[in-house]
Amino acid sequence: MGFLNIDNVIKHYHDVEVLKRINIEISQGDFLVLVGPSGCGKSTLLNMIAGLDEITDGDIWINGKQMKGVHPSKRDIAMVFQSYALYPNMTVAQNISFGLEMRKVSKPERETAVSRVSKMLQIEPLLNRKPSQLSGGQRQRVAMGRALVRDPQVFLFDEPLSNLDAKLRVDMRTEIKLLHQRLDATIVYVTHDQIEAMTLATKIAVMNGGVVQQFGTPEEIYDNPVNTFVAGFMGSPSMNLVPAKVIKVEGRLSYQIETKNAGEPLLLPVGRDEMAISKYLDQEITVGLRPETITDPESANHTEGTVHEANLLVDLTEPTGADMYVVTLLGGQEVVGRMRNRAKAAAGENARFAFDVSRNVAFDKASGERIQ
Amino acid sequence: MSARSQDRPSQDRLSQDNALRSAIYWRALIYTLLIVIAVIYLAPLFVMVVTSLKSLEEVRLGNMMALPLEITFEPWVKAWGTACLGLDCNGINGYFWNSIKMTVPAVAIGTLLGAFNGYVLTKWRFKGHNIVFGMMLFACFIPFQIVLLPMSQVLGILGLANTTSGLVMVHVVYGLGFTTLFFRNFYEAFPDELVRAAIMDGAKFFTIFWRILLPNSGPIIVVTVIWQFTNIWNDFLFGASFASGESAPITVALNNLVNSSTGVKEYNVHMAAAITAALPTLLVYVVAGRYFVRGLMAGSVKG
Repeated sequence: MGFLNIDNVIKHYHDVEVLKRINIEISQGDFLVLVGPSGCGKSTLLNMIAGLDEITDGDIWINGKQMKGVHPSKRDIAMVFQSYALYPNMTVAQNISFGLEMRKVSKPERETAVSRVSKMLQIEPLLNRKPSQLSGGQRQRVAMGRALVRDPQVFLFDEPLSNLDAKLRVDMRTEIKLLHQRLDATIVYVTHDQIEAMTLATKIAVMNGGVVQQFGTPEEIYDNPVNTFVAGFMGSPSMNLVPAKVIKVEGRLSYQIETKNAGEPLLLPVGRDEMAISKYLDQEITVGLRPETITDPESANHTEGTVHEANLLVDLTEPTGADMYVVTLLGGQEVVGRMRNRAKAAAGENARFAFDVSRNVAFDKASGERIQ
Repeated sequence: MSARSQDRPSQDRLSQDNALRSAIYWRALIYTLLIVIAVIYLAPLFVMVVTSLKSLEEVRLGNMMALPLEITFEPWVKAWGTACLGLDCNGINGYFWNSIKMTVPAVAIGTLLGAFNGYVLTKWRFKGHNIVFGMMLFACFIPFQIVLLPMSQVLGILGLANTTSGLVMVHVVYGLGFTTLFFRNFYEAFPDELVRAAIMDGAKFFTIFWRILLPNSGPIIVVTVIWQFTNIWNDFLFGASFASGESAPITVALNNLVNSSTGVKEYNVHMAAAITAALPTLLVYVVAGRYFVRGLMAGSVKG
């Protein structure tokens, strides 16, 4: 049994089933990110781990102890809230030590703990200020300090970076990651930002409609999405999901994809999962192409021998500085590829595209489930 | 065609001038009206202050609106210490303290209970919390007169008839609807995450109230205190009904003073007593008034 074990958890609000049989298990030191669109039930799940929401059925275990009916303060967990939830009437030091005070820790011990944590988070000069005198980033730090000072078994983060501006968010993200590595803490982190999920997590649970769509390491989720929802949600720009037909060309299993080039379709060899995909011969499926697998020929990796080139009409180019996103129409849909910044591609003209077919994935057209 | 287009600029200027002139007239009219209303409104206070500083002789002979020829504080001293209410000639000071002894505890207890109700009704919701709140709200609409008889029975049973403690209880009970309403609406906007954070920190039910909610309720406490203080201090009906004689509040004493003077009506003494009776509420407004507006606005704008 894992360190944190979410076991068949169900949650009803009146007649609405918010969470449908959630099963997640992580080890000590894991950084679990619950990610999904708003309303997917991720915050509810976090609140149930915290004990702030009741579980309708199932149970949660932390370090071998059953949590059903255990008061939030007795679970040995600490939580960082989205709004930081700092007590406005108390100074930073009082905010950090309030939890210890409630647990009847002696004053000298509290002071030692506060100075240890404030040194770690570099908020020593702020200790005597009120929360209203702090900037967003400083409040965020104090909120983390309040969790850290208790030295709990599990940290819970509820969208902690969503109230910060873009630059600060990236900085704090790095800081949280460093903190996790240094403390070897077990963390459950809720976000709707898939980049945060990818950068921070050791385990990701992608949720939608109260169901865990996929649970695994960031690499597994990114390279092997189990359905079109996970495939489309993770990654930025998101994976291109294109209708295609499975055919055999010169004895080789291929995807046939419509193009705008005078009725001549694009033929891409199937690079993986051939056994499973062969069952769909002559049927329509959905093929998923990551933007970074669609490049100009010069920046493609030719060593594996899995690159397939084709001429396609460019609809639009979006230079970002480092790269250039190139949009073309495949299967009646806009498909984004990522080329070098100075690649030879211009809107309204044909350009040479290189497809790394080893990373393409196929999904059942009707159910959206992965074919593998 | 061309003639018309030449006319247009001068016409425009003309209508602009007209608009400006009528705006000035309007402004003048509004200010005149405001000044007149303010004078009418302040006139009684002026008469009271002026009369209280005149000798009885001057009151009888002079104009009501005239300034005193000779300023005297004699009526104030008399009202406070030696004026006769019925047979008892000790002035109004005893009753003034009665009112203090009644108002201060009633305001304190009523405000605290209201805050507590608001806390439970917003942060510890139970089934039917809205019905309970609705019923408490209903208490705001019950007229004084309706509760007189049942209240006097209850006071009799409790042995609190004709006592200041009895009056304190009456005012606490009657004010509870208002204080609960104030605090519930204030705590409705109070972030739940703070309460959740405190729960996770290990704070208990009462600790959360004392350490988190109450210290952050400054504006609404001020509003409630002003509201309750003014209402309870100025109450006459409950005072007259439940605490006659020695334990009567100042409002009742004032009435007795005015009604019991034999012979000449000592208007100057009456006015001095009336102003004295109004001073504490004035003081509360001056001290806490700037928070009053701020408190009424609190919650309407975030921040």
